[in-house]
Amino acid sequence: MMERQSVLQMGWLARSWVSYLIVLLCGGLLALYGDPFYVQITLGITILTILAISWDILARTGQISFGTAAFFGIGAYSTAILHVYLGVIGSWLIGIILAIIIALLFGRALLKLQGMYFAITTFAFSLALPVVALVLSPITGGAAGITPYVFWGGNRRLQLLMCILFLIFAMIISDWFLQLRLRVAAFLIRSHPELAFSSGIPVVKTKIITFGVSGGLAALAGALYGGLYGFIVPEDAFNPLWSVLPFAIALLGGVDSTLGPIIGGVVLRILEEKTKDLIGSYGYQLVVGAVIILCITLMPDGILGLLKRIVRQCTNLWKKS
Amino acid sequence: MTATTVIQSIVLSILVAGLIATIASGISLVLGVTRIVNFAHGEFVMLGAYLTYWLYVLYGISPYVSALISFVAIGFLSYIVFRVFLYRVLQAEHHNQLLATFGLSILLTNLAMLIFTPNLRSMSVEMLPTYKIGAIIIPGNFLFVGIMGMVCYLLLIYLVSRTSYGMMMRMTSSHSELAQYSGVNVFRAYGLSFVIGGAFAGAAGSMLAVLFYIHPSVGLELGIKSFAVVVASGIGSIPGAILGALIVSLAEGMVSTFLPSGASWAYGVGFLILMFILIFKPTGILGKKH
Repeated sequence: MMERQSVLQMGWLARSWVSYLIVLLCGGLLALYGDPFYVQITLGITILTILAISWDILARTGQISFGTAAFFGIGAYSTAILHVYLGVIGSWLIGIILAIIIALLFGRALLKLQGMYFAITTFAFSLALPVVALVLSPITGGAAGITPYVFWGGNRRLQLLMCILFLIFAMIISDWFLQLRLRVAAFLIRSHPELAFSSGIPVVKTKIITFGVSGGLAALAGALYGGLYGFIVPEDAFNPLWSVLPFAIALLGGVDSTLGPIIGGVVLRILEEKTKDLIGSYGYQLVVGAVIILCITLMPDGILGLLKRIVRQCTNLWKKS
Repeated sequence: MTATTVIQSIVLSILVAGLIATIASGISLVLGVTRIVNFAHGEFVMLGAYLTYWLYVLYGISPYVSALISFVAIGFLSYIVFRVFLYRVLQAEHHNQLLATFGLSILLTNLAMLIFTPNLRSMSVEMLPTYKIGAIIIPGNFLFVGIMGMVCYLLLIYLVSRTSYGMMMRMTSSHSELAQYSGVNVFRAYGLSFVIGGAFAGAAGSMLAVLFYIHPSVGLELGIKSFAVVVASGIGSIPGAILGALIVSLAEGMVSTFLPSGASWAYGVGFLILMFILIFKPTGILGKKH
């Protein structure tokens, strides 16, 4: 029994370790030898990709969250606040665990909500939290913000290496949830919940745990963000952009996958920079809106889906010849 | 905190609720009939606000007239949006619909930033006189919003309950398949509800323009607040929309007037209330289960 378990686990790991290695190599080489401008950009991409993975894990169970920013901010604030009392490692451990607990409770509360109700409640949550941060200003520093610990003394290269490692951690978690049984369960939960229930899948438990994991990952991204620049204010930590860009990335790259968000993160950033060159420093994010619209109407499987289709066409043609 | 200040705050909050109620009723109509969440509704309001602003600044046109112009113009615009883009979304999966209209919202917001620049603008309306009832001061622009809001709301109720188009939309809203078998052109009902919702959004934009600062992102916050009002008061329930609008407006008004430095976080109180309503009664205060 034990051997069968480990063989199953080894199955997905055996397939995915190549992707981790590639991300590690590319990211590592960029961090150590790349131009500082690209190091800076990649830092942003990494954080957004972790958020995109967090969103995607939740979206697989049909829970489309518009409030990723909420847990991002919770992670940033909790680690920053606790740092004074618990040091770096302690604040991260306790801060992220706290965020996971809040996510589990919130996921439990939102169970009865579906589709648009769920979306609006999560969005409203992310918009209500900066108010909490402002009101609790003795703890959170209010509008003036809070200064968390800065990692590696602000050395962007080492910070990027750290973020790449955490990105790989997020990828591992995402792949774990993409194991065959879990993937099928998530698919059933999102498209045929009654069938899922009658098949014996613990729907409630799965949805809540997924919410907790997703919230935890988002909080991790938030903690990372705080540790980069050492300054958190409510409008920044809970900015709706942290909710929107992750799902734009996941849509663009390909939902229900781990590589999708990675591809999407890089491509979207490239598109943003190109548009910024064309249009100027404000309004350039219309490309994000355009990407979302195009992906939904023309490319629902994202870039990854497009590539898979192309590969399949090519192999079909090759087989015929 | 005297009786006068309390009454003053209540009066102003009720008048402002006219704005939210108009936006929320439009959203409620579209939502009830098409089941599509149009996140870009706030952007239609924003466009109406800019239209009113430019008509006033360039041609000196009164907001009362601009409200009508916005009504027609934005209604027309939403028809174009519906034909070009949204009917495609109708066939997509539900969660994709949410994301698609959100993408449209981002697109429109950024286009506005590009064309109008992100600078804050405000309309100083000397042409709207201020009234005094006893010790209560009612600035002209608040009165405009209150009157316009009431007019729009009553107009919408009339359209929905007394015209044949309204019946078409109500039938589609409660059971679209049955409506189709009864001979209702469901697609036309969808388009109609969208146009009417957009038209009222345009009128709401005029109200916004005389009351608050105008900038490209104004549609986002107002839009999401109105959405929360609609959802919390019950989808498709237009009476519910004004109830929810009143609750939110009064809560915000009270908090910002009477709590120290309340103005900076009053908007969050509205969200908190709505969130709690949704958690405890997921179909909204006056909503029906479907």
